[in-house]
Amino acid sequence: MKRRAILAFTLDHPGVLNKISMLIRKKMYNVDTLTVCRSRIPGVSRMTITLRENDQARVDQVVRQLEKFTEVISVKELDTDHSYWREVAIVKLEMDASVLDTFHGRYNFEILEQKSDDIHILQVAGSTRRIDAFLDEVGQEHIVEIARTGVTAMEK
Amino acid sequence: MNGKQLLLKALKERKVRFLFGYTGGAIMPVFDEMEKMGVFEFVMARHEQGAAFMAQGLSRASLSTSAPQIGVCLSTSGPGAMNLVTGVADAHMDSVPILAITGQVATGVIATDAFQESDVVGVMMPICKQTYMPLVADDVEKTVHEACYVATTGRGGPVVIDLPKDVQNQQVKDDYRFDSKKFRPHLPGYFCNPTPEREPIKQAIELINKSERPLIFCGHGVINSNAGDLLRRFVEKVNIPVASTFHGLSAFPADHPKHLGMMGMHGTVEANRAIMEADLLIALGMRFDDRVTGKLEEYAQNAAVIHVDIDASEIDKNVKTTVAITADVYRTLHVLMGDPMVTCIPRRRWWDKINSFREVMKDDLREEIEVGVGNDNKLLMKGIVHRLSEVTKGRDLIVADVGQHQMMCARFYNYQTTNSWFGSGGAGTMGCSLPMAIGVKLARPKERVWSISGDGGFQMNFQELGTIMEKKIDVKIIILNNGYLGMVRQWQTFFFNGCYAGTPMQSPDFGLISQAYGIPYRKVELLQDVVPAIEEAIACEGAMILEFVCDPAEVILPMIPSGGGFGDMMTRHPHAPKKDQTKQGEAA
Repeated sequence: MKRRAILAFTLDHPGVLNKISMLIRKKMYNVDTLTVCRSRIPGVSRMTITLRENDQARVDQVVRQLEKFTEVISVKELDTDHSYWREVAIVKLEMDASVLDTFHGRYNFEILEQKSDDIHILQVAGSTRRIDAFLDEVGQEHIVEIARTGVTAMEK
Repeated sequence: MNGKQLLLKALKERKVRFLFGYTGGAIMPVFDEMEKMGVFEFVMARHEQGAAFMAQGLSRASLSTSAPQIGVCLSTSGPGAMNLVTGVADAHMDSVPILAITGQVATGVIATDAFQESDVVGVMMPICKQTYMPLVADDVEKTVHEACYVATTGRGGPVVIDLPKDVQNQQVKDDYRFDSKKFRPHLPGYFCNPTPEREPIKQAIELINKSERPLIFCGHGVINSNAGDLLRRFVEKVNIPVASTFHGLSAFPADHPKHLGMMGMHGTVEANRAIMEADLLIALGMRFDDRVTGKLEEYAQNAAVIHVDIDASEIDKNVKTTVAITADVYRTLHVLMGDPMVTCIPRRRWWDKINSFREVMKDDLREEIEVGVGNDNKLLMKGIVHRLSEVTKGRDLIVADVGQHQMMCARFYNYQTTNSWFGSGGAGTMGCSLPMAIGVKLARPKERVWSISGDGGFQMNFQELGTIMEKKIDVKIIILNNGYLGMVRQWQTFFFNGCYAGTPMQSPDFGLISQAYGIPYRKVELLQDVVPAIEEAIACEGAMILEFVCDPAEVILPMIPSGGGFGDMMTRHPHAPKKDQTKQGEAA
């Protein structure tokens, strides 16, 4: 199923997130990721929702129905060709420092803390695919814990 | 000033006259203040659902008058508010502006599972246009004005204000100032532009002019924008046939030569066949509900679609649009009327075809109506509705419940008065008729109002006879009693091999019920008594109940089976196969 990102600017009111997630549930989607932050304008939040859908007409329908909410100011679907989709992951790894060194240069990460010889907490930023690739290469067996923000996106 | 005073002040400024409701712990301060103010007429429902439907009736019926009013219903927290839910959801489905004000437990105990506490905002959010919960008295007045604005502009809908009890009693700050005349709600995300844009209008005109077999759909939006008369003039100007949706009925004179009647599942043959054959659909203020379209893949395959709707999210929702006009129907028609590019083409072939569709069931229906009785000489609903239409000359206000009789009322009453047809369409809420008729009567006291229910629907809200008794509301009540839940029975006959599960119904003696409420009553079993009974009800001062004993085997045809296409339309009663349990699964 094709991954879609929907960007919405909403009023920063209680219940808005509830309304939006309720609509997405009503349309029978499972939210892939959802990030909310303040926007440049005071009192307005910026929300990026990703979900999976092949049918463009259904996505357009979600966009229109989101737009209908009085608290939603504007909504747009962002595609990967014309926008940047990025996320951040914090990963706790059990791995020798020398092995970790080999990833330097190829992946954009920052070591936040070295807890012991082989336990590191690091931060990786980039596209979903890039982070997935990094984690694959590191190998599941080395990952102790992981936290990902979910996608936030911006038009080019 | 405190919260409750500001609430009522704002309602008064919004020209609210009637408050429908039921008191209780968390709304008592508001009721107390209302009593002291003495400016509102309080109508006590016997169940909160009744109050919501009364508010709907008032909103719907007053829409076409010179002074439209918004229906307001009041309830307490918890169970009171939950009882409003069905009425609010119904208003949401049918785009009816109402304001539901619910008391809430005090802010200090919210979310502690306090006595009679429910998360009203959480429950109402998906079934209404907007919810509010003012947490300080200073916000109350502003909230009421904004709520009324949101409910009545754009596509109408219910708005809920959940008002905690302590906020009702709270005094405003010393520096509180509010001027309702200067107030403009700050809603940066709320768009309702009723004026059509030039470009789609141009495209629409081009499509209309080159179409050979066009068809206009008259939807609820025609009534909501008071465009009935304009539509009639437009239709006469461009010579295009009109089919109505369920809620579009009564926007247009039912017997107008260009009118094909109701479309959809139980629509007329001519309307449905015309949709199949049309090369252009001009949909005015409607939403292509599944009861209208049937199977979407087979729906109007050869037709281009011009869709006019005030709600942009309706465009392309169910049916792919060729030209979308996101605007108010009245303004769109006004622009089209004034545009000299719109031509009138005789389209004789198209009209010949339509006239041939009109013949398909004409004789069958005429015969049924004339005979007027079915098995065991029991009355046929369509005969009764037809005779009611004749006696009242199609000028009265009809409030139908939900079921078979509702479709009979939609099909066989000859609507002559604009906005004279009310009922629950999208939600299909049984029991809506009696309370809604109360609201309709209060909105238009000079007109005669008929509440028509089946025996099932009537018993869902007949406690509201108490309101009719107390307030001496002149509603003529018809019960079409066939001892079954007729519409479901019809489906069971057609698709469940006649296995009548859960549809036979024993009713109380409606005569004794009427007597208990002090309302005159007459039971009609013979065809020759139908018209005299209707005349008696008309002559009766105040409410009267007429019970007609109807034939349970009567069906409403044509019928497009649920999920079927227009090609599957049934125009004759199939021989109901004998009860056969083994085949039941397949038929389902």
